[in-house]
Amino acid sequence: LGRPSGSTSGGRLRLAAAGIAAAAIATLLGAPPAHAQRDAPRDGRDDPTPLAAADWTRAHAAHLLERAGFGGTPAEIDALAALGPVAAVRTLVRYPAQPAPNLPIFDASGVFPSDDFVPPPPGAARPHFVRAFFRGEALGASVERRTGPGWAQPIADQLLFFVVADAIESARAAAWQGERMLLTTRPLEEKLALFWHGHFATSNQKVRDHRKMLAQWDLFRARGNARLRDLVLGVARDPAMLLYLDGVENVRGAPNENFARELLELFTLGVGQYTQDDVSEAARAFTGWGLDGNAFHRAWWRHDKGRKTFLGRTARLDGTDVIDRILEEPACARFIAAKLYTFFVRPDPSPALIESHARTFRESGHDIAVLLEAMLLSRDFYSDATRGAHVKGPVELVVSTYRKMGLETMPGIPGFTPTTQSLGQRLYAPPNVAGWPGDRVWITPATLVLRQNFARYVLFPQERPLPRRRPIELVADIVGRDAFEQMEAMARRGDFSGAPTMPERASGLARVGAVGEGGAVDLARALYNGARKALRETRLDVPLPAELSVSAWVRSAGAHDAETAVDALASRFLSVPMRTSDRAALIAQLERSLAGRALFSDDADEADDAEERDGVKKGVDVADEDGMERMLREVLHLVLSLPEYQLS
Amino acid sequence: VSHYDAAHTCSDSHDDACAHAGSDAKHGLSRRDVLRCGAVVGLGLGSGVASLVPAFAQARAPDGTRSPVLVVVELAGGNDGLNTVVPHRHDVYRKLRPTLRLGRDVLRPLDDARGLHPALAGLHARFERGELAIVEGCGYPDPVRSHFSAQEFWHTARPHIAEPYGWLGRVADTWTDPDPLSVIAIGAAPPRAVAAASHAAVCFGAPDQLERRGARDTRDVYGRLIEDDAPAAAAPSDDASTPRDIASFVRETAQVASAASVRIRAAVEHYETAVSYGIETEAASLGRDLRGIAALLAADLPLRVAHVSMGGFDSHARQLQSHQLQLGYVDDALFGFARDLARLGRDQDVVVLVFTEFGRRVAENGSGGTDHGTATPVFVLGAPVRGGLYGAAPSLDALDAAGDPAPTTDFRRVYATLLDGWLDTDSVAVLGADHAPLPLLRRA
Repeated sequence: LGRPSGSTSGGRLRLAAAGIAAAAIATLLGAPPAHAQRDAPRDGRDDPTPLAAADWTRAHAAHLLERAGFGGTPAEIDALAALGPVAAVRTLVRYPAQPAPNLPIFDASGVFPSDDFVPPPPGAARPHFVRAFFRGEALGASVERRTGPGWAQPIADQLLFFVVADAIESARAAAWQGERMLLTTRPLEEKLALFWHGHFATSNQKVRDHRKMLAQWDLFRARGNARLRDLVLGVARDPAMLLYLDGVENVRGAPNENFARELLELFTLGVGQYTQDDVSEAARAFTGWGLDGNAFHRAWWRHDKGRKTFLGRTARLDGTDVIDRILEEPACARFIAAKLYTFFVRPDPSPALIESHARTFRESGHDIAVLLEAMLLSRDFYSDATRGAHVKGPVELVVSTYRKMGLETMPGIPGFTPTTQSLGQRLYAPPNVAGWPGDRVWITPATLVLRQNFARYVLFPQERPLPRRRPIELVADIVGRDAFEQMEAMARRGDFSGAPTMPERASGLARVGAVGEGGAVDLARALYNGARKALRETRLDVPLPAELSVSAWVRSAGAHDAETAVDALASRFLSVPMRTSDRAALIAQLERSLAGRALFSDDADEADDAEERDGVKKGVDVADEDGMERMLREVLHLVLSLPEYQLS
Repeated sequence: VSHYDAAHTCSDSHDDACAHAGSDAKHGLSRRDVLRCGAVVGLGLGSGVASLVPAFAQARAPDGTRSPVLVVVELAGGNDGLNTVVPHRHDVYRKLRPTLRLGRDVLRPLDDARGLHPALAGLHARFERGELAIVEGCGYPDPVRSHFSAQEFWHTARPHIAEPYGWLGRVADTWTDPDPLSVIAIGAAPPRAVAAASHAAVCFGAPDQLERRGARDTRDVYGRLIEDDAPAAAAPSDDASTPRDIASFVRETAQVASAASVRIRAAVEHYETAVSYGIETEAASLGRDLRGIAALLAADLPLRVAHVSMGGFDSHARQLQSHQLQLGYVDDALFGFARDLARLGRDQDVVVLVFTEFGRRVAENGSGGTDHGTATPVFVLGAPVRGGLYGAAPSLDALDAAGDPAPTTDFRRVYATLLDGWLDTDSVAVLGADHAPLPLLRRA
């Protein structure tokens, strides 16, 4: 990873200045920008021009597949390498031209009655009780009206049922999303969706409807590689976003600035490019953009039709006009280019490099595919400054581990959602609207150990710790142990009539207003009943360990002793080469385990050949009579515990 | 009921439960037992890892003085401040809380108008000794009533702004070359409060969670894999972020984890004290966690900031009983911690901050509980604290449309007090604004 000694930061600055000057001249002359820097460092650092076909190697293909997707098996890398740089990048970036992948659809539990059914956002339960009071039913549950205290209990039970069921379904949907990443033949499509999820960060912790999150990801897949305008406009009308940043509350006369502020600060321009007045005026322009059921709806009577002044333009602006005005700002292209560069290439690009890509982006009419193609073909992308400079995010780590293993289904042990969550990244639940900070923040002493233990439980699923308790017992943490046990006893009797608390005064129309906040119902009971029903009615995904055979990989790579076996595993899994001393230590470890035996006996070779031919793979519980599989898994666990494995 | 907590946790363990359906009952073995066995086995560490334990700087300076330690206790879920520091004479309080109100006869008096919840006997004793500062009416402009957002705001100390780092993490970022064990958080996931740009907090639920799982006979090898580069092999660097530097950063973090695992487990698992921290269960975790902090201090680990958290305060229903229990757990744990620190001779080194993300609505709901509100009291306690009542009680005569009082005191004033006066850190740099400190500390 050595760099030419002439590459000092002063040198880079001069190069950058030269690049800007050359570009300025080119622009003045109306000529296409000439980025060529004859005196650029030999390894291509900071050089946005395309890699020459002659410089393309298999290692470049592996790097491209890792960053533009989630890595792959040796065979997948070979196939990509054979294409050469231009076709390889085009295959990945121009995925709409590729055949649509045949992916499993989300196996919804069907707890939501129909597509236009709107589950309750937290704190807005009151309309359901009012409706139940007048109509005798709400949320799919019917009640005897005004028949005494607790008449609304079934509605509260149903409300909590939807809340808990949605949380379960969103965890399942996140695992399904991970499975798409694992199985897709268009890896950049999913990788871009992951990127945009962190960029237009929306959390189901607030939205409370996993179907809206699924729809938002459909948007990211459909427009994530298209014109930026279409994507931003789609996000501004996206139901999950309208709930998450309070667009539904943004109405004429009482504008809510939440979405407008983040649109400018986090989604398109960055701080310092606009004033508070611009935020207020943009918020006015978006008034009335809301929901009708689960679909985007513009309510003209809630829209402020007055004149607004936004970024120096005064007119009767609508939200679309605001987005169009933003895109005219050069800062927008720079902001998006820098964000994409940080995610896909490296965390510290020079301003000149970003400016160069921002220009390409602007000149293409903000075509994201054009920008990505330029970035992924550039010499900087393949330079030593970039390769190994990326800290894998939790989702990347888990999915790319599985893709390198060649898994054909998403393992249930360890579970995808709890694993990525414990590593700091739960899909559909970014920490806030700024998304995940990424880079070094992913790595803490605890998350690093959890990353190593994730690899452990993939390879040795039987070692996974047992769960502490039944899921329903989590209710006890909220309602208290005594109340929980009381309700458990009632559940065993099958009789919920003896409510723990049911104040008589909390009934009747006068109290309906308070009902939504806990009035005439017992919320402890509602949570217990709701959670119980949710756990019963959502689908149980039977968790299975990964089916893999480390012996088969090592053998098919032609390894015949400890040294070649270690090299085969390192080559399959590591993007950053390990240190010579570490390689020696791993070889010595495997030699110690082998204790003089051959890596593969001839018989075992034949057996493995047969296995490979039949496409049968060993699960961990399959007999491993000579202990070879276990030995190799121990070595692989050490490889996956290397600090280098966290990088790509 | 906390939608956030309930929904979140239920789903988390969903597939865990499926993974091992029935296995629990069959083996009659709890996860804790399994972990405990693992921990005992794991203590037989290879020399490869043990030799990596760096000679960390001790908490003691050459002249024998020790760094001040801040212990932050989070009561997650929104503790009912009005039934904690109770304005028992106020008409509005008495009227809006017909079943939940606490009268002067049961309260522990603070002054004529206010009393502490009866479960807070230990805190009351400390108040009388002048070691408990109560800052009333804490909050921030435009309060939110969502756990998710409100917790974020208290942790980042930047309400309404998408801030990636926590206020304690930003403190650690100002330190030059801090010891890796300077910031410790006890919990399943690192709290946002300790998220930092450059200094990773050591976070664990139980100390054995810091342990890398692996076969015993591979531990020495692993120890070698995370050793530093030999000086000759280290690439020359003129850039903060070369790939080699990032690999070194990950390697150093792995060393910290190994060392922390050994040192923290040694400190916590062998800690013995005669002091009781009250009930220690899954729900009453504060005693266990604070005893862990005392153990780290007893072992002279160079701890400067600790964060612990206990849930169960989201009392939408049947609050009278649950709040009594919860506050009893908190009081026992805090009182035990104080006595243990005195026993260790460390009581002058430690200040404890107790916060929650919001108070609760003045009016009780129909389930014998209270819903999410705004202003909340904050406790600062310890021998270095100048006890008393600070801030101002929120006005119950002017409730907003939702029925909540306006906060009277920005919580960042408490943070600023502790930053400037206790952690010797520039509060303006950490908080991004000038928040007037309060006279809560004796040495300030």
